[in-house]
Amino acid sequence: MKIDKSKNTRREFLRGAAVTAASVTVAATVSKTASASDTMNTTGSGYQKTKHVKTYYETARF
Amino acid sequence: MSTQTAENLNIINNEDQLRADMYSFLANLLRAEPSAELVNQLTKLESDESPIGKSIKTLSKLASSLDLPTIRDEYVRIFIGVGRGEILPFASYYLTGFLKDKPLAKLRNDMKEIGIQLAENVKEPEDHIASLFDMMSGLILGKFSKKFSIGEQKDFFNKHLAPWVDLLMRDIESSRIAVFYSPIGTIGREFMEIERSSFSMDVTG
Repeated sequence: MKIDKSKNTRREFLRGAAVTAASVTVAATVSKTASASDTMNTTGSGYQKTKHVKTYYETARF
Repeated sequence: MSTQTAENLNIINNEDQLRADMYSFLANLLRAEPSAELVNQLTKLESDESPIGKSIKTLSKLASSLDLPTIRDEYVRIFIGVGRGEILPFASYYLTGFLKDKPLAKLRNDMKEIGIQLAENVKEPEDHIASLFDMMSGLILGKFSKKFSIGEQKDFFNKHLAPWVDLLMRDIESSRIAVFYSPIGTIGREFMEIERSSFSMDVTG
């Protein structure tokens, strides 16, 4: 596997950054309220996939 | 090709998952008046002593001490208002002084390329901060046509968020009306700083 040093540096930075610790609990809120992960779906309040993307999902499914 | 793409959709490292969660978290808080359920979730947040952690603690305490109508009313007064709110959280407004100007047109072009459009029930233009945060989350998690590389995320961030998001977050933080929303502005500002720094480290994705 190719090791990308700059990528590791970025990940290390994020791991050390405040967002990591805070996000662990934030993540729980996001998944429980569910609205965040649903906004991109056709039923959500935010976006719906365009036909193009829907077609993509159908062709990519196996 | 399709197998590889499918894999890319599924492999999200922990750090990127957390970034996506933070974007969604902020989008939830800034999209509209919070539901009782969301406020209840906020009362249970735990946090550390980092700047974001401290603001999360403040937010959590406020979620416990303020009643829901007060919080919802605060949202309306800041972001909607009678006629107009104190803060108009739209890219176009921040960048040009007008709603639905060129920055919105640019965003719509990019959205077309990504393959997303506004759901029919959404009234606000696409460049609302909550929509842009939803898009960032979706780009990171590969919810659209594919998983977007760090370089592509950076391009989207630099184009549609970086020029104005810090100013917006500072406005929310220091709003004369804001009590509940003030720590949310702080969390947003701190998070955007982290995003900016991390994007400056890696463009190879």
